[in-house]
Amino acid sequence: MARAIHLDSIRKEYRTAGSVHVAVDDLSLTIPEGSFTTLVGPSGCGKTTTLRMVAGLETPTSGEIAFGDEDVTDQAPQQRNCAMVFQSIALYPHMTVRQNIGYGLKVQGVPKAERDPKIDEAAETLQITEQLEKMPSELSGGQQQRVALGSAFVQDPDVLLLDEPMSDLDAKLKAELRVEVQRLHQELDATVLYVTHDQTEAMTMSDQVILLNEGRLEQFAPPGELFDYPVSDYVARFIGTPSTNLLPAVVGERDGAYALEGDGFAVSAPADIFADRVGESITVGVRPQYLSSEGGEYELTVVAEVVEQLGTEFVVHGHTPDGTAVDVVSTEFGGVEHGDELRVGFDPADLFVFDAEGQTLCHGDDLTKSPPQSH
Amino acid sequence: MSTVQSVKSSFGKLDERRLLLLATFVPFAAFFTLVWVIPIGYALGMSLFQNPTADAVFVGLSNYVEILTGEEFLLFLWNSVLYAVSTTVLSLLVGLSLALVVNQKIRGGNVLRTMMIFPYLLPTLVVIFIWKFILDPNIGVLNQWLVEWGVIAEPIAFFSTIQWAMAAVAVTSVWKFGSFAFFILLARLQAIDPNLYERARVEGASTWQAFRDITIPHLRGAILIILLVRGIWMFNKFDIIYLSTRGGPLNATTTLPIRVYELAFNGPNFGGATALAGIMFFLLAGVAVVYFKVFEPEKEVAH
Amino acid sequence: MALGEGAAGSILPQSLQTRLKRIAVILTAALVAIFVTIPVYIMVAIAVQSPADVFRGGTVHLIVDTLTFRNFRVLLEDTNTVQYFINSLIVTAGATTMSTALAVAAGYGLTRFEFTGKTLAARAVLFAYMFSPIVLAIPLYVIFYSLGLLDSYFALTMALTAISAPFTIWLMWQYFQTVPISLEESAWIRGASRTRTLWDVVLPVARPGYISAAIFSFAVAWNDFTMARVVMSSDEMYTITVGASLFLDRVTIGWGETMAVSLLISIPPFLIAVFLQNYLLQGFNVGGLE
Repeated sequence: MARAIHLDSIRKEYRTAGSVHVAVDDLSLTIPEGSFTTLVGPSGCGKTTTLRMVAGLETPTSGEIAFGDEDVTDQAPQQRNCAMVFQSIALYPHMTVRQNIGYGLKVQGVPKAERDPKIDEAAETLQITEQLEKMPSELSGGQQQRVALGSAFVQDPDVLLLDEPMSDLDAKLKAELRVEVQRLHQELDATVLYVTHDQTEAMTMSDQVILLNEGRLEQFAPPGELFDYPVSDYVARFIGTPSTNLLPAVVGERDGAYALEGDGFAVSAPADIFADRVGESITVGVRPQYLSSEGGEYELTVVAEVVEQLGTEFVVHGHTPDGTAVDVVSTEFGGVEHGDELRVGFDPADLFVFDAEGQTLCHGDDLTKSPPQSH
Repeated sequence: MSTVQSVKSSFGKLDERRLLLLATFVPFAAFFTLVWVIPIGYALGMSLFQNPTADAVFVGLSNYVEILTGEEFLLFLWNSVLYAVSTTVLSLLVGLSLALVVNQKIRGGNVLRTMMIFPYLLPTLVVIFIWKFILDPNIGVLNQWLVEWGVIAEPIAFFSTIQWAMAAVAVTSVWKFGSFAFFILLARLQAIDPNLYERARVEGASTWQAFRDITIPHLRGAILIILLVRGIWMFNKFDIIYLSTRGGPLNATTTLPIRVYELAFNGPNFGGATALAGIMFFLLAGVAVVYFKVFEPEKEVAH
Repeated sequence: MALGEGAAGSILPQSLQTRLKRIAVILTAALVAIFVTIPVYIMVAIAVQSPADVFRGGTVHLIVDTLTFRNFRVLLEDTNTVQYFINSLIVTAGATTMSTALAVAAGYGLTRFEFTGKTLAARAVLFAYMFSPIVLAIPLYVIFYSLGLLDSYFALTMALTAISAPFTIWLMWQYFQTVPISLEESAWIRGASRTRTLWDVVLPVARPGYISAAIFSFAVAWNDFTMARVVMSSDEMYTITVGASLFLDRVTIGWGETMAVSLLISIPPFLIAVFLQNYLLQGFNVGGLE
């Protein structure tokens, strides 16, 4: 039965020869039961450590972990009814595929007559029926990963943990397995926690995304919210490809009207947010997809450096006249060459504004709402 | 607060862990203490006594002084070094050239590899029997052939003439131990990425240049290890010399290990034997310190 | 050496260069093959012929024309060879089992648990690995003597384990590092206890490692002369190497019987070389043994 996962002030330290490394720092959140949640972040951000603490393979230095109402902080991995798919796949090389999938059931004392139908069912779902009597070494990478998923499937876990299960596969297999994983989620009554460093996987598969930054929670939200309402420039840059452009700007004031003044643009800004920030350095974020050649309320000059074609779209990597790197994604820039100056437009509704520390001051819709009458 | 709880309530979980910890470490530690630490400590202790096995009399370091100032000590040390260096270098050369050959993937390379295992696995005693027969002055095939071909006029008693004994023992040793270097170097050679050679060829390097700039640097570490470890083992070798010459003739092949045995069982002079063993222990400890400092072999297992 | 022929690469045409290299390679291979094979052949040839045939006319005849078991029969009838072999088998079996079991346990513990002093443990193992057996034999002799254990299977088994275990421990220590811990973790998460995981997962996966360790400890014990010479003192307790080493001093035993017993001693190593060489080579990859 799926159970919610509660993390309460989790902290994990590793001590090596006098120095303390904090892998996870004060992490508190609740993953709703039955949801598909992704833990994402660059390598070393603590996502795998967090997953391993949920599995019981690591014990938190402090803090508590609960499944539903049950405190599992001190439970051994054997007691938690989790299933886990490892990055290394971790199939037992000396067992057949059937034995690999059925090992968990065997350990739990399920007789062979009951195990086999479950294994067959899982194999059918994952299309590995023909591989059941083979040894893992005879399988391709994708098939091995299916076997690992099958082992999780037959166990009927409360919590299914996946640790970068696809990082070693090629793009096509990844796409196929993404579907398998989601089907698994639908068929199992389990809370799924999925670790990946690939934000595309996170954005396409999950109900919620947990974005970690050096062991700390950066944002925990559904994918759409993460994309449209990042809480910091870190989130804005991590989510979406190419990364969000960050344009330095200064808050300016002229005759009681406020503006974000950058290299070649001045976006008018609402007084309620910016009135007491005049003169402050801020950053304006705009996604490459929201820069367009067909005008917009404001314009920007971009000097093209490299142009890549991605299907029907073109990605122009360039910089503003003062040297800030800017990427533009558009279907229009096929003929652009190195050194060309482009005028690209953008609308204030698509912008993010970050303060000097990188925290979000406001999103695009705050910039476009009618300014309050009095100040 | 939760940390305290976790320690208290996780005894159940830790129990099995602890049990395994005990089951794996206790035998390891007990074994090392029983058969290594205690005997070595015991020997070092004995070396400070005269007649330590019967009416022990504490004599301090005088056993050491006696051994070190004995007029033949330098000869035994020299023999040990000569034997260790010559056999190590020769077996390295044999092993290296053959490893390079087998690495060329010639037909029969696998057979050659299997053949190289035999000398290494043949018990030392058997190796000695074979070579004693081959080098025997009366019926040995080598003498027979050499006389037939006119190379020598009279058969030579290789193992029992002063000028030949060390050479005979060394050849026998190289025959047995050459494959050690062979296998280690072959494994290293086969681990070299073939792309490196292809790249070198594309960049215009000759076979010789590729050998000098790719093969040799990849083998350097292994060669040093072989020289060091094999050298230590040969320095410490007892059985092959004892079985072939018993250290003779006239101490021509008496190395320190042979001398230790003689002192202990032909004397018997356990004080002297253990003092010499102690000297060998400290020599090895000195080499080991260098080995640990330079190669840091423990990094392979302890991070 | 063989590859050095390429030094003339710029002068000689490619095909000639390749051919020269090939000739050098084959020549070296042939030389080594002869160097290795002939001594072994001599042993076999003398063992399976009667001394009268081999040494007829005062010279050695190495072409086998008449096969005979005469030499083996003499061994059986006039010597304690059978008893020596039994003794060797007993202590070799004991030492192999102990050394391998110790190595598996230690290798697992040393890789799976964190503790301070790992470097020290590694150095101790390596130091013992390089140590001189005869230097260890002297105090062991005195200790066994004072415990009344000299001339016993137990003492020799311990002594043989002592000289093989440093390497087997090192081998298993390295081997277990290559066994991914995620295999065990995966079993724990599926509900298998640590002990059960050990049986179901760790030991089967570590099998190539401990077979290799067993082969090395077998070879050490079977080949040993030093420890047996020191520890065993009566004829009926001698191992085959010590027993046979005294053959040449006897008037009744000649080269025929000596080579016959050599052939018998060589059978287990021969079988290992032919059938288990891959495990052996694996051992060489982590440093090999004396």
